[in-house]
Amino acid sequence: MRNDRVMRVLPRNVRIALSREQLNDSYVQELRLRVGKPLLMVYGGRERMIRNERDGPYIVTKEDVREMLEYVSNFSLYAYEQEMKQGFITIEGGHRVGITGQAIIEKGRVKNLRYISSINLRMSHEALGCADSVFPYLTQEGQLCHTLIVSPPGCGKTTLLRDMIRQISDGNRWVRGMAVGVVDERSEIGGCYKGVAQNELGIRTDILDGCPKAEGMTMLIRSMSPAVVAVDEIGSAEDVHAIEHAMHCGCRLLATIHAASIEELKKKPLINRMVAEKQFERYILLGKRERIGQIKGLFDNRGSLLYSETGSGSC
Amino acid sequence: MLMKIIGGVLVIAATSMWGHAAAEREKNRYDQLQYLQKLLYMLRSEILYARSYLGEAFLQIGQRAKSPYQEWLLKLCMQMEEKREGAFAGMWEESIYDFLKDSGLPKKELLRLAAFGSQLGSADAEMQVKTLDLYLEELRLSMEELREEMRTKIRLCHCLGVMSGIFITVLLI
Repeated sequence: MRNDRVMRVLPRNVRIALSREQLNDSYVQELRLRVGKPLLMVYGGRERMIRNERDGPYIVTKEDVREMLEYVSNFSLYAYEQEMKQGFITIEGGHRVGITGQAIIEKGRVKNLRYISSINLRMSHEALGCADSVFPYLTQEGQLCHTLIVSPPGCGKTTLLRDMIRQISDGNRWVRGMAVGVVDERSEIGGCYKGVAQNELGIRTDILDGCPKAEGMTMLIRSMSPAVVAVDEIGSAEDVHAIEHAMHCGCRLLATIHAASIEELKKKPLINRMVAEKQFERYILLGKRERIGQIKGLFDNRGSLLYSETGSGSC
Repeated sequence: MLMKIIGGVLVIAATSMWGHAAAEREKNRYDQLQYLQKLLYMLRSEILYARSYLGEAFLQIGQRAKSPYQEWLLKLCMQMEEKREGAFAGMWEESIYDFLKDSGLPKKELLRLAAFGSQLGSADAEMQVKTLDLYLEELRLSMEELREEMRTKIRLCHCLGVMSGIFITVLLI
């Protein structure tokens, strides 16, 4: 593995163990460290056990986890207090480091985590051009449609959203280049480092990094007058309210949400109303049966299938 | 006789200068503590208001600090960016002995500062600021103590310088 941004947050012994393996960076999806358990990697969709120098499984130690936490937080856990509350920290390059341990509760809410026992490093992959196939269906009378990307975790919704932002911002065959405002609450879309996006997001993109979505959308509309607003993983009442506000301000909206099917989406509180009112004009449903990021179906607001890569898309 | 007088004057001048230098060293120890206090206040505000992580804060403060603190902080920041081996506390301690050993800081304070590294980088910002406050309070007490001692010591150094000069001259004559 040669990805420097990832390697520099790994504990020294894990780095050595990984250097013994023959790995192709683009197939590495996840790396799981659990105290006292073997080091596991999701590689090309399959689980793989990392071996130690005696060819046995590499067992993760408490010291490895502590060392990795120091590196991930730049030796300053206090600076990541808010992220720790949510259970993950995003590192340079947009890679997500999920953390579990014992929750510290204050006034009934999670204040922080301690006794960290598991770390899951999820790689962020840039797939330039992965949105090429959906663009012909995302415009109506020359206008970009309000689009919701629906997908279970790990199916590539952020990757697709990132490429859509890049193409809308630069302009392509289907849409002219437009100003895109991105509210990147978890720093996953742009993978910002000191406020500057490390991933390619196009020439007309303004990114608000680490800002809560609802507040960020309002700030962006006021300050940058974007033609398109993009957000990742919507769900809360504030998010829905801010999305509706953005839609009524003349902005086109791109968003992603966790759900395994359109049926499941319709059962989600708050979102079900938006679906019923046909506020989103296009829904892109993702899956990973044949490959990650496979488009199971692209639907319009009436539920008609416009495009599918599986040939059996259903609404 | 003239030679004796000139010699006597030279001896007294030399010992007085030695006394003056010793007094300056005492004063410098206090000045260094005061400067360290200023740097730690800057670190406190970087953590409290900007939520900067330590490397970033060291870079910001280091760029404005005077030597040898500048070299210390910038080197520490560089090590944190590059050297990904071992804990922060070790890096901090090592850098203090490398750069601040001859800074003029009292030895007791140097030891305490070196041990302080293990308390930096904790999980809670509020806790981190409070730990810094506690250290700053201890530093303030040390400074007060030193200031009280300093007045007497400076006077003593000046007196001893002149008196030892006179004593040596009398012995020689």
